[in-house]
Amino acid sequence: MEKIFYFEQVGKRMPYTVPDGFFDKMEEDVMLDVKAETAQPKRRKKARTIKIAIRSAIAVAAAIALFFVVRSTLPKSEPVLASADDFASVELAFNNLSTADQDFLIAVYEEDEFINVLTNTEDYE
Amino acid sequence: MPTNDKDIIRAMREDAEKGFRLLMKSYKEPLYWHIRRLVVSHDDAQDAAQETFIRIFRSFGQYSEANSLRAWLFRIATNEALRLLGRQKNVTMLSLDDVTADMLSAKADAYYDDDDAIVARLQKAIQRLPAKQQLAFNLRYYDELSYEEIAEVTGASAASMKMNYHLAKEKIIEYMQKKD
Repeated sequence: MEKIFYFEQVGKRMPYTVPDGFFDKMEEDVMLDVKAETAQPKRRKKARTIKIAIRSAIAVAAAIALFFVVRSTLPKSEPVLASADDFASVELAFNNLSTADQDFLIAVYEEDEFINVLTNTEDYE
Repeated sequence: MPTNDKDIIRAMREDAEKGFRLLMKSYKEPLYWHIRRLVVSHDDAQDAAQETFIRIFRSFGQYSEANSLRAWLFRIATNEALRLLGRQKNVTMLSLDDVTADMLSAKADAYYDDDDAIVARLQKAIQRLPAKQQLAFNLRYYDELSYEEIAEVTGASAASMKMNYHLAKEKIIEYMQKKD
C-alpha cells in the first residue's frame, strides 16, 4: 500500500541544528565588522576635510597678499578701487598656480616686511 | 512590537549602524536558514551568512525602495550561497542554471539531527530538486515569499516561479510516498 504524505506532517521542521547561542554570536561578529568599516571612512573623511580647509585658508590668504602686491606696484596717482571682480580674478589666478608657486607666494608674503608694512598702513580711500 | 521592513529602511537611512542592528534582529535567522538549506553544512552556512550581512551593509545604498527589501536580502543571500558552492567547485560564481541537485545535496555535518525520519526524508527530497525548483519551494514553503518576491530573488518571472513551486511540490510528494 502506498504511503500518504501531507506537508502538514512535517510543517517547517528541519533536521538542521546550530550550536547554542549561535545567532547572538553571529550578530555580534557581524556588528564588529560593520563598526570597523564605519570607523575607518569617518577618520579618513575628517582628515580630508581638515586638509581641504587648510588649503582653502592658505589660498585665500595668498590671494589677498597677491592683490596687495599688485596694488602696491601701481602709481599712487591712479586711484585703486578693489571691486569684488578684482578679488575673484586674483583668487582665480592664484588657484591656477601650481602648489609650489602658491607656496612661494605665501612665503614671499609672510617674509617680506615691506609688503607687510604696506598692507598694514594702506588706506582705502 | 515586530519590526517591519519600512522601519528598517528608515532606521538604516537615519543611522546605518542602528538600522543594521534592526535588520539583523529580523533577518539573521531567516537568511541563515535559507543559506543552510542550500549549502547544508553549518560551517559553510555560517561563512556565507556572515558574508551576506557584510555585503548587505556595504551595498545598502544601492537598494531601491521600489523593490521588496525582503526579496533584495534573500537575493544577496542566495548569491552568496551560490558563490560558496562555486568556490567549492573552483568556479567563481554559479548561476542557477549551473547548479545541479548533486551540488546542493552536500553532506551534512555535526549539526544534523536525523532522528525524525520523515523530517530528514523531506530535506532529502528537496535536495534532489533542480536548483530553480528548490529555490522556489524553499522561498515559498519556508519563508512565505510571494511569487513576485521569488521572481525578484531568482531573476525569473513570477509565473515561471509559480510553475517551479508546483512542480517541486509534486516531485516531493512523489518521493515521500515512494517505498524505501
